[in-house]
This record gives sequence, structure tokens and C-alpha cells, in this order.
Amino acid sequence: MRLLRRGLRLRTRITIAFAVGGFLVSVMLAAITYGVSRNTVLDQREQASRQQFLTNARVVQDASRSESVDYGELLQSLPQLAGGQPIINLGNEDEWVSPSLTPADLPEALIAGVLQTGQAEQMRYEVPDGPRLAIGARLEPSGVAYFEVVTLNEVADNLRSLAITLSGAAVLTTLAAAGMGLWIGRTVLRPLVGVSAAAQAIAGGRLDTRLQARSDPDLTKLVASFNDMASALENRIERDARFASDVSHELRSPLMTLRASIEVLESRRSELSERAATALDLLREDVDRFQKLVEDLLEISRVDAGAADLALSEVSVVDLVQAVADSTGRSGQFPIALSRNLGDPVILADKRRLFQVIANLFDNADKYAGGVTGVVIDGDEDAVTVAVEDQGPGIPHAERHQVFERFSRGDQARRRGGGGGAGLGLALVAEHVRLHGGEVWVEDRARHQPGAKFVVRLPRRPGEN
Amino acid sequence: MGTRILTVEDDERIRTAVRIALEDEGWLVDEADSGETGMEQFSRQPADVVLIDIMLPGMDGFELCRSIRRTSDVPIVMVTARDDTHDVVAGLEAGADDYLTKPFAPKELSARIRALLRRVRVTPHDLPVIRLGDLEVAPEQGVVRKDGRELHLTKTEFKLLCELASAPGKVFSRENLLEKVWGYDYFGDGRLVDVHVRRLRTKVEGDPANPRHVVTVRGMGYKLQP
Repeated sequence: MRLLRRGLRLRTRITIAFAVGGFLVSVMLAAITYGVSRNTVLDQREQASRQQFLTNARVVQDASRSESVDYGELLQSLPQLAGGQPIINLGNEDEWVSPSLTPADLPEALIAGVLQTGQAEQMRYEVPDGPRLAIGARLEPSGVAYFEVVTLNEVADNLRSLAITLSGAAVLTTLAAAGMGLWIGRTVLRPLVGVSAAAQAIAGGRLDTRLQARSDPDLTKLVASFNDMASALENRIERDARFASDVSHELRSPLMTLRASIEVLESRRSELSERAATALDLLREDVDRFQKLVEDLLEISRVDAGAADLALSEVSVVDLVQAVADSTGRSGQFPIALSRNLGDPVILADKRRLFQVIANLFDNADKYAGGVTGVVIDGDEDAVTVAVEDQGPGIPHAERHQVFERFSRGDQARRRGGGGGAGLGLALVAEHVRLHGGEVWVEDRARHQPGAKFVVRLPRRPGEN
Repeated sequence: MGTRILTVEDDERIRTAVRIALEDEGWLVDEADSGETGMEQFSRQPADVVLIDIMLPGMDGFELCRSIRRTSDVPIVMVTARDDTHDVVAGLEAGADDYLTKPFAPKELSARIRALLRRVRVTPHDLPVIRLGDLEVAPEQGVVRKDGRELHLTKTEFKLLCELASAPGKVFSRENLLEKVWGYDYFGDGRLVDVHVRRLRTKVEGDPANPRHVVTVRGMGYKLQP
């Protein structure tokens, strides 16, 4: 899950990077496009206006040579192809003639410039209606100043629609870039989903998981190194497990000699002195314990190596518990209660392992709680539970997980001591139950009775969930 | 005359300890420290039961087992330090009747030997001869014939066949057969039954891959097709 989440975040990052990149590039292009277009359009407009102005100015100049000119009529007769409006200053500051304008329509700086220097000048300026262009010149020899004002609203409108179009394009480009980023992110990360699944499988114990070879050279390397890592890990775990298994096998030979020799001594017990018999008992008990430890170690290393296969068969839980009690010399020492309406529950299980589970729980009760006081078998349609109860000191909440760890030595073990420690018994219980797809836990006994209750819950049909 | 047990074991300490313990149980014990000497000893003085350690230098336990099987149907108990399926099944396939995992209690070995040596149980009703198609089982004489020809079965195979033949058509569970043929109480190894059934089929069936006599009943066990 974590890997997946990280993948999503990376994908988001890629998407955002692409979106930002797309946005910046498109905004830049739009700005340049707008600037260039604006200059070109305005230049053209200005040039056209200037042309018209010069033509008209020449007409006015010619007319101004004669004495009697009706400037009002003259101005109205002038062609205004570029949309200009004329106004004339008759050489005196206050004498202006125009069919549509007043001097206030002209920028003062332009008026001053034209009248004082006599140069032709033009100026672009803004009024509340929109942008305007004014051109003016003093006409010699009459001293009349001719001005034209061109409204640039139409140009501004054109430029505004261009800006809107460009902004729209920028937005679309940004979205497209984001989409592309998303797609690329997904494409690039897709192989990683496989890697993540494989890593999870390995972590889950399927050590032979490998990635499939890819044709892409970039991925081939990743696949190769991942598979190398998985192989190294597998070898290492196998070597560890094999070592534990080899050690156990090696220990079996001396144990064989010990057991056979102890049996020979046992059959001559009557010939031994009391002290020697006590020593023999000690020897036998510890050889038994040693053997149990070796067996458990072997069993658990087999589980670790993934070599534990369940030999499933139909097992009557009641018969099994009874058989464990009988064959471990606990016959009739405690009641085995079966919940009503349960019948004789039969489950699909590995009999040998289940035997160890129950036997180890019995051993545990003997070691730490003065023995089993009762077994309760319960269940439902899907699973059967076996609860092994004792009247020992119970197990504190904090240690209820710990007791199932290997060689765990909680306060329980220390208090009860006996030199034994918890060994592997309960750890093996947990492993066996897990192999069956079941659960095991410790709880308090009902109605605040003293003692602990180890509960094993086994599915009736392992592997069919 | 006492029962002779030949133990083939390369570890001298184990061999000695097991010999003393078995002698305490009242058996006569011969020893061999390798497969080769074991074979030689067996051909010189056949034993009533052979105990073979799988891991022997030179000729290993499987090979010794096969060599003995070529000439004799003496009960063989394999001893293995590994109870991996591979070793157990390979030992049984090689012809062993039963197996024990080290370290075992000599008393347990004695119990296994006694079970192997036990004669075929003869039912009170005395089934004289059971005929099933081309197969003819005569528990009293200890003889099985196929098409009138006498078959060579080991004691355990014969016991297994007689058990199944005691009630043709009835399904015997593995537990049931383990108890009746091998004398296990509750915790016998089902693989013993499976491998012996396989071996039995190669002898009594025309086509062991498609058995007509010894039939598997899925999830339940085996039966003899009447």
C-alpha cells in the first residue's frame, strides 16, 4: 500500500511538472505572439493614418494659400479612409475649426509641440472611450496647424479578442500538458507496480517470486537487479534455514545414542542406588527436553525454509484432543467439553501438526500454570476453536503476543523458571496454526476465574476462504 | 530359537547402544557397519528383521534395501535422520515396510518389529479363499494367485491385501489400515499406506496406472473392488 501511495505521489508530481511547464511555455508564446501582433497591427494602422494625414494636410496647405477659405467646408470634404477626424488651428491659440472635435480632444503636449516647433508630430493616448492616435503639423506659409485624431477602439477590440484566444490556447495547452504528464507518469510507473507486487510477494514469504523479463533496455536492468536481489535473499534465507536444519540433524545422532543408553539404564533401575536413579531421572528428563527442542527447531526451520507442506486429512477434533491427552499420559486428568449443537466437528487439517499444537499447549500449561484444567471445543460453520484452560497466574496483557515468539522469556517464564524458558513450543503452535490459516491467542478465563485460556481457531476447510 | 535382528548402522556408538537396548528387549542382534557388510552378513545368515540406516557410506540404505528385496521378503525397518517426505517415500519405495526417525526409543522399535512379525490375522469365520476376477487370495496358506500363477508379496503387502480382502467393496481409511496392518494407534503416517498400495498394485494389477482391484476412494481411503 505504501509503495502504491508513493507511486501516486510521484505520478502527481510528474503531472504537475508537465502542467507547469506547459503553462509557462504557452504563456510565453502567447505573450510574444500578442506583443508582435499588437505592434504590427498598430504600426499598420498608424502608417495608414499618417498617409491619410499627409494627403489631407497637403490639401489643407494648398487651400490655406488663398485668403478666403471656408475651413469648415474644407474639412468636411476631406476623405477619411483611415477613420480620422480633422481639426484645424488657425494660427491663434483659441481659434479652432472642426466639424466634430474640440481642442480638448487633443493632448496638450501635442498641441504645444506642433505649435511651438512646427514639426509634424504624432502621439498615442488613452481617453475613457479607448485608445486614440493624434497627428498634427504646422502648415507653412499660412501658419495653420492641421490635426487629425484617429480612434483606435476597433484595433483595441481586435487585440483583446486575440488576447482572449491566446489565453484560451494557453489553458488548453496547460491541460494537455497535464494530461500528457499523467499518461507518461502512468506509463513510466507501470513497471514499478509489478516491482511493488513482487516485493510484497517476497516479503510475504514467496521467496521464489521473480520479475518477468522486459524488452525495454532501461527496464531490463531494473528487472535484472531486482531478480538478483531476490535470488540473493532467497539463497541467504535458505542457507540460514538449512543451517538450522543441518544442526538439528547432526544433533539427532548423539541423541539416538543417549536415548538408547538411557533406556538400557532404565531397565536396570533396580540395580541402581537411589542417588544414581535420581541422576538418571534428571538425565532422562533433560534428554527428553533436548530432543523436543531439536525437533521443534527442525520443524520451525522447515517452516522458515518454506518447505513445510500440509498433509491434510479429515480430523475429528474431539478424537485428536483425546488422543493427545491419552498418548501424553494426561488421560482423564481434565474434562474435555464440547459445545452443544456442534456435533463431532471434523476439520481438514494436518494431523501431525495439530497434534503438536495441542500437545505444546498442554506442555505449556504444565510448565507455567500447574497443568491443564479443562479443554473446551466450540465453533461455527466455518471454524472450530479449541480452548486450553489453566488456573495458573494468567498472562498479563502486555505479554500476550510475546509468548508466541521464539525463545520468549517474559516475566511468566522467569517467574516459573525451572531453568526452562519458553523454548519454541508456543512459537511452533503459532506457526502450525498459521499454516492452517487459523489463529491462536491468549485470553482471560470467563467470569474472572484465575488462569489463562489459550484459544486456537482453525478453519474447517483451510484455503477456502 | 530367538528372533534375529540385523542392524546396519555406521555410527558405532548408536549401533552399540541400540544393540544393548534391543538385547534387553529379548532380541538377538547382529551388527553391520556398512551396506556392503550388511548385504554379506544377510546372505550368510538371514535375519528375521533388518534395521537399515539410510545414510551409510558407500552402498546407501536405499540400495541395500533394494538388494535385500531382490532375494527376500524379510521385514525391513528404515531409520532416517530426516523425516522429509523425500527420504521417507524413497525408503518405502525401495522396499522398506516401516520407518523410524532418529532418535527413536528402542521400545518403540521393538513394538514396530513385533507388529511386522505378527502373522496375518485370521478371522474367526475363517475365510478360506477369496476370489476376485483373476485374483485369488488364500490367507491361510499365505498365497496370492493371479491367473493361477503365484505372486510374490512381502509380508506387509500380503497383510494389506488380506485386510482389504476381508471385506471386498468396503472402504478402509488410511488410519484403519495403519492400525490393522502396522499396529499404529492414532498417529501412523498415511504415506506408509499410499506407498504400499502403490507397490501392491504393481504386483496384482495388469495396469497399475488404472487399477481394477485396489481402488482409491478419493478423500476416504482404499477398497478392494469386488
